[in-house]
Amino acid sequence: MGQSPWRLALRRLRRDRVSLAFGALFVVLVLGALAAPLWASAVADRDPDRTNETGQIEVDGSKVDVVSLDGVPIGPQWRGEYFLGADSNGRDVMVRLLYGARNSLLIGLAAAFLTTLLATLVGLVAGYFGRWVDALARSTLDVIWAFPVILLGVALGTALAVGGLKIGPLELGAGSMTISVLVIAIVYVPYMARPIRGEVLALREREFVEAARAQGAGPLRMMAGELLPNLTSTIVVFAPLMVANAILLEAALSFLGVGVVPPDPSWGNMIDAGVERLVTAPHLAIAPGLMLVLTVLALNVFGDGVRDAFDPRSSAAWGTRRP
Amino acid sequence: MTAIRGSLTVLALVTMAAAFTACGESSGSDQASQGKQGGSITIAQTSQPDALDPAIAYTSNSWEPLWLVYTAPLTYRRAEGTEGAELIPGAAEALPTISKDGKTYSFKIRKGLKYSDGTPVKASDFEHSVKRVLNLESGGTYLFEGIDGATAYIESGDPDGDIEGIATDDKTGEVTVELTAPDGSFSNVLATNFAGLVPSNTPFSNQTKNPPPGVGPYKISKVVPNREFVMEKVDGFDIPDIPKGNIDTITTKIVQSPSRQAQDVIAGKLDYMQEPPPTDLAAEIKARYSDRYKEWPTLSVSYFFLNHDLPPFDDKEVREAVNVAIDSSAIARLFGGRLKGACSLVPEGIPGRAELDPCPYGDPDGPGDTAKAKQMVEEARATGEKVTVYTNNDSNRQEIGEYYTGLLNDIGLDAELRVVDGAVYSDTIGNQKTKAQTGIVNWYADFPHPATFIQQVDGSTIAETSNPNPSNVRDAEITDGVAELLPEPDLDTVADRWAALDQRVIEESHIAPFGSEELTTFLSDRMDFENCAIVHPLYGNDYSSFCLK
Repeated sequence: MGQSPWRLALRRLRRDRVSLAFGALFVVLVLGALAAPLWASAVADRDPDRTNETGQIEVDGSKVDVVSLDGVPIGPQWRGEYFLGADSNGRDVMVRLLYGARNSLLIGLAAAFLTTLLATLVGLVAGYFGRWVDALARSTLDVIWAFPVILLGVALGTALAVGGLKIGPLELGAGSMTISVLVIAIVYVPYMARPIRGEVLALREREFVEAARAQGAGPLRMMAGELLPNLTSTIVVFAPLMVANAILLEAALSFLGVGVVPPDPSWGNMIDAGVERLVTAPHLAIAPGLMLVLTVLALNVFGDGVRDAFDPRSSAAWGTRRP
Repeated sequence: MTAIRGSLTVLALVTMAAAFTACGESSGSDQASQGKQGGSITIAQTSQPDALDPAIAYTSNSWEPLWLVYTAPLTYRRAEGTEGAELIPGAAEALPTISKDGKTYSFKIRKGLKYSDGTPVKASDFEHSVKRVLNLESGGTYLFEGIDGATAYIESGDPDGDIEGIATDDKTGEVTVELTAPDGSFSNVLATNFAGLVPSNTPFSNQTKNPPPGVGPYKISKVVPNREFVMEKVDGFDIPDIPKGNIDTITTKIVQSPSRQAQDVIAGKLDYMQEPPPTDLAAEIKARYSDRYKEWPTLSVSYFFLNHDLPPFDDKEVREAVNVAIDSSAIARLFGGRLKGACSLVPEGIPGRAELDPCPYGDPDGPGDTAKAKQMVEEARATGEKVTVYTNNDSNRQEIGEYYTGLLNDIGLDAELRVVDGAVYSDTIGNQKTKAQTGIVNWYADFPHPATFIQQVDGSTIAETSNPNPSNVRDAEITDGVAELLPEPDLDTVADRWAALDQRVIEESHIAPFGSEELTTFLSDRMDFENCAIVHPLYGNDYSSFCLK
């Protein structure tokens, strides 16, 4: 008796040690983010948003300004308090890094989930119904596709940054992180909806779909019962890459000032603040930058592994690693 | 808007008297004449000036160079400290004659005066220059609206129309300006860059790409938008007490990164940077290049506006709590140490400043008392009140906003930060529809007169948009006081009464001042820093004083 495609994929993925290692790294990063309050209260004893420009700490037996009189923050102390140093406002960088991870990951995961949901819906409906529904969906996706992601993200983010969003009962304040989630989710919909639509166009001509149709299945049952299960592997392959892209875009938007609103930390706005201090306090930009690189790298390598596991031909076709 | 006009635009380059009194002992012209003549220098600005047209230009980027290109009927002595705040004749032969009722100003244009292209200067050019200000939606419009017929001229929509209150005679060079009401600061208005003379055939449009000729020691000979503009020394320029300049050619490059600018000044690729060096490099520059770097206080004030129309700042006790809690020494660190604490709206160096010693809210340079402030907020039953703090993304403003948001939370309010782009910040907080409760204002003097500061809390200036009084202060004592004192032409005689108004602003906690910013001069090694680097109280670094070693 043959194994299901899922079991086969899992077997292949289990053999891909590199992908699993990077997947584990991502899990560690997530756990670190979840442990942020613990680090803040039990180790650093600092609140992520509480400023401390005039504070002092003891270093080698003497009192040292957290931020010097000419504005230079203290560097990494490699101990509980100010483990990675302070920022310009005297806040603990390590604490903000972990809280920033929560925001960045939360937005990335939520945006990727929403993108997946919307893209699947649009791809299914457009591919199944075809004709004018498909034309309308395709045109809309093309319009969004036509704008560079960052440009569209910045435009939407800026438009919503001051007044917030109010559509009927949906009301979001200007500083709400949900706005970032919505912006990122929307701009990435075409990148996922188009391949799903293509897949649906191919699937709907297959025999099992014809058979279901002959048995009198309605559109909803056809889409939910016949087509969607066959799209799962495509969606699973896209998911980690979407999360990585969403985290990157969130960082870019926050870097440009239209993502997470300070004083809430995110890796993007921390890098933005750190760029101004590269000479005297390089830790401010390096720490969040490194976290961002590690996270995106972990998701991309793991995502590649998932793709290879579900479609071994793709690795041969692209000449990438073998499982 | 007028109030925020200061924060966004006006001179970022204003020095204060006391710090440089010693330097002020030798006048700018004296120093400049001692400098080595000739040579070319390259200097840098972070962004393209808002305009290279005197009718519109309203930022430090533009005022600093244009001051040397477009001389107004009056001007200020080229000197540091209090001496630099002295009004002297510019294109006019002498200071204006003011009628007894304070409504008529008369002066005469100098005979034989010529623009940089050789065109003779006419008295009617003054009216044309004012018309251009009124026509081009200039930020300086408000300065000339007190001229009789100015409002009617604007409403007529006819650029060639007449301003009834300005009479000129090209034969004699006489100019008479009639005001609708006496204004003791109007002589200062005649010394602003907006009143800089241009020929009568200058079009009623922004001439930044091809700046019109002016009267001054330099002319703009080349403009490459967003890249550079070049100023060349004008041969034959000769107005008493205005230096002729030392350097032959001054090329201003637009270099967006202050870090790059600072590194280029260190390396000698640039000779001067207009912005202060970034905090990142400031400490090193101060330590290693102190022989060509200095910091100087400005005629400016930075404060948090507190909207009296909206809770919780409609309660005086909450406003007092904010003043009690502010820690200027914390904010000073965000300025890289370039901030001096303040306990007045009128900054040091301007007559009419309140000398509050001790300050009712504690040492202006010392730490705040958040515990006491928290108790005051509790007593005012404002604990947990929601507050949105407005700031912008310029320089260190976001960090200050983060500090302030944290402070308000510390004293029991429920504050969140809203960061608005610097380009639209003043319009945003100046629009009543925004309902901005509190936020940052940085105000630089247009001219050395207390009115330019006190009017920010004058109830008569409140407007729906471009509100110069974002705190919406309606204090009859201040409004009546401004109305009474503004017509007085001799500021010295009423300085005490202006100071009383300033004191009331603080005692009533109408705003929460936190200091005055200091700016910098940083020159390359080949520049003569010791003898040729005059900082003017209003216009900042005086390029005409620059010279090579």
